[in-house]
Amino acid sequence: MKILGISAHYHDSAAALLVDGMPVAAVQEERISRRKNDAAFPVGAIEYCLNQAGLEPEELDAVVFYEKPMLKFERILTMALREWPRTFSSFPHAMKSTLGEKLWVKGLIKSWLGVPSDKILFSEHHRSHAAAAMLTAPTRDAAILTADGVGEWAALTVGRGKRAGAKVEVDLLREIRFPHSLGMLYSTFTAFLGFPVNEGEYKVMGLASYGSPRFADRVREIVERTEDGGFRLDMRYFEYHTNAKRSFSNRLIDVFGPPRAPWEPLDPTSTEGRRFADVASSVQHVLEEILVEMCTRLRKELDVPDLCLGGGVALNGVCNARILRESGFERVFVPPAPGDAGCALGAALLADRVFFGNPDRDFPDHPYWGPALDPQELFRVAREDGLPAEELPNDDVVLDRVVRELQAGKIVGWMDGRTEFGPRALGNRSILSAPHTAEQRDRLNKSIKFREEFRPFAPAVPTEHASTYFELPPGGHRLGRFMSGVFPVRPEHRDRLAAVTHVDGTARLQTVDRDVSPRFHALLEAYGRKSGLPVLLNTSFNLAGEPIVNRAVEGYSTFRRCAIDMLVAGRCVVTKRADRTAEIDSGAPEEEAGLNAKEEAAE
Amino acid sequence: MGDIGTQPTPERALHIRPAGMDALLKPVHRWVWADAHRRAHKLLRFAETEADGGRDLTRAAELTRDALLRRLYLRHASDELRHADMFRKRGRTMLASLSRRGAGVEANWLAPGERGLDDLNVDHENDDTLLAFLHLSERAAAMRFAVYREVLAGDPDTRAVFETILRDEAFHMNYTRKQLERVSPRKHGVRLWMARLHRVGKLYLRFAAAFAGVMGALILGLQYFVVLPFFALAAKHAERRARVPSGWTSVASRSFSFRSQY
Repeated sequence: MKILGISAHYHDSAAALLVDGMPVAAVQEERISRRKNDAAFPVGAIEYCLNQAGLEPEELDAVVFYEKPMLKFERILTMALREWPRTFSSFPHAMKSTLGEKLWVKGLIKSWLGVPSDKILFSEHHRSHAAAAMLTAPTRDAAILTADGVGEWAALTVGRGKRAGAKVEVDLLREIRFPHSLGMLYSTFTAFLGFPVNEGEYKVMGLASYGSPRFADRVREIVERTEDGGFRLDMRYFEYHTNAKRSFSNRLIDVFGPPRAPWEPLDPTSTEGRRFADVASSVQHVLEEILVEMCTRLRKELDVPDLCLGGGVALNGVCNARILRESGFERVFVPPAPGDAGCALGAALLADRVFFGNPDRDFPDHPYWGPALDPQELFRVAREDGLPAEELPNDDVVLDRVVRELQAGKIVGWMDGRTEFGPRALGNRSILSAPHTAEQRDRLNKSIKFREEFRPFAPAVPTEHASTYFELPPGGHRLGRFMSGVFPVRPEHRDRLAAVTHVDGTARLQTVDRDVSPRFHALLEAYGRKSGLPVLLNTSFNLAGEPIVNRAVEGYSTFRRCAIDMLVAGRCVVTKRADRTAEIDSGAPEEEAGLNAKEEAAE
Repeated sequence: MGDIGTQPTPERALHIRPAGMDALLKPVHRWVWADAHRRAHKLLRFAETEADGGRDLTRAAELTRDALLRRLYLRHASDELRHADMFRKRGRTMLASLSRRGAGVEANWLAPGERGLDDLNVDHENDDTLLAFLHLSERAAAMRFAVYREVLAGDPDTRAVFETILRDEAFHMNYTRKQLERVSPRKHGVRLWMARLHRVGKLYLRFAAAFAGVMGALILGLQYFVVLPFFALAAKHAERRARVPSGWTSVASRSFSFRSQY
């Protein structure tokens, strides 16, 4: 049975394909279209998935959309009516946006893929999140918690998943409904702190470590806990339900002071920067508090040792680690794509196991479902541009060479195998560096990633060595598999791991299994043998504002535009020449390039 | 090895003259750029436009099979990112010295940035059509920036930013023209005319879409205040009667169907 899952229209659209219950391909549209957070209907991603399986659209047994568009429209319309006349500015925007394309998903799928109506199915937003978390995890019986901005009506759900023999159940038990939403709470503070919503939430988490939660009581007044263990937001502090342009009200400004303008520099050591860091710390603190408490109750209620987390809020590694430490769950599973992109896979899995009743299968426990790399493409373009490009004879030579460069303080663009599904680079499309000095971190921030100084970098470490360098609670290794948890660096190693140790002594580590990433694991081991520390700094292979690279040529163009010293794709290795200006201009005679052309503007 | 990394001389940039229409509209441009807040916000917006342009050119470099074009596109992309940085720094510096308030009307239609009112979908372009588009776009941008340079006599720091960028624009105009002649030696003139027509077509579409957007907003706004109030009252009444819960809502017994969009 061939089932295509699709998520689209809000942020990071994606497609995923199952054949006979097993995943064949899954990729976000942004990796194909090269537009960051591309929310368009994922034509490129669908095409890739079908090509990967050698299928034509008519061969599909079902196409599953990740949510129910009409129910979502009902929520938008109902909120517009309930809040009338305060919604006058957002109403035209919401109607144009929804009635334009988002409502007509069935027609859209039919027109793009030519599949008949009876093959098109619709999951629910949070049920898709729940399935993506539960059915990709190595567990048979688990509690489920999903949290994000909003789906149709739900913004947070809890439930239970069971995989007993052939029968699969993913049941939601209760939900908290829009406008009461932890995702929207965090996004509102993201906007208040001058970061882009759906993009800058990582920055809030990074900034939080610089501050103290001195505003926590005030945040608690805004997020009121209810007797049943849920919560409600005091909507007088918010405008996201009535205003398309601003998510917080003047009342929030009265409490926390003026918001930061996006263009203003942010220095957490200045007085004003300190206030912003304290606000970030406070909202982070309260978010953790609420989720830990909810998970603790859920643990007692369902009495199962495993918890599966889904939804965009599950990208908050600090919160995930606290849930693992404090809620009583023994294992916490977060999929590599817990956000909306992962819903494409979740919806397909749910349809396969529940709607069609196909037998349960263990899901391969890795994130590498995207397009494969063609190292020859890199070799060709580098040679055409006159750069030193070599195809090394075997992996040992490649690893030895890369380790030498890393030890010399060089920064390496590392591409291997298939692209990761989800927002993290987990060793197949990564920028790697030695993790030892703060100078190396600053160089990466300034010359390669072009991003704020307060943002931390992640370490990658072989699973078997993780506890030597990091303080991992039981279950921490698993949470680190897809970089989903933030844990303390052991104090005795912090000096030598300065580039990956955040200001509060923590790191969002990736634990690398030999079975999952054999080549990346071998690289870490090889680096450990030479340096005595099998840890590397691992950050996503992209520049600010761009999606993570997919093809070799995209890695190459990134390599050419920043200070990465060496580029590796499979066994192909490319370096820069010492004279970088000459290198960029190589092979382009002045006459040919047009510099001597007559000055046209003077014509 | 060629010398294409050398920047065009300042004299070349100074030769760029505003287009006729822009020259006529100089008083309008002077008004647009006179307000310091608006000026600073426009520079920040220009920075975004330049960065977007840089990403488009990077994509073009990734897609072309022509090695020389790839190198030139990459250099062009780096220039655009540098321009973005210059605009951003200047805008931020200005805002740091000004009181806190918004830009007001930015008048982006009257005084647009580098790609101006053009749209570019690199994935759907061939080398020759892309070069023709880029040439016209760079030429238009250079002429527009020449006007901005002229009306910014009272702000030498911002003017200096445009001066510097104009030097690069001259290079961009020239290499795109020269390369178009190389990749399409017989049809480069046709390509340029096609690109001009295409720009006009796209301009029309953008104006039409904007007009439709305004009309749509007006009609929806009208409906909002004429039709919706009755439904709004009903919805508020229903909300009060139903006592819409805060906290948890049980969904364990709710039916779920894969066939339904509701």
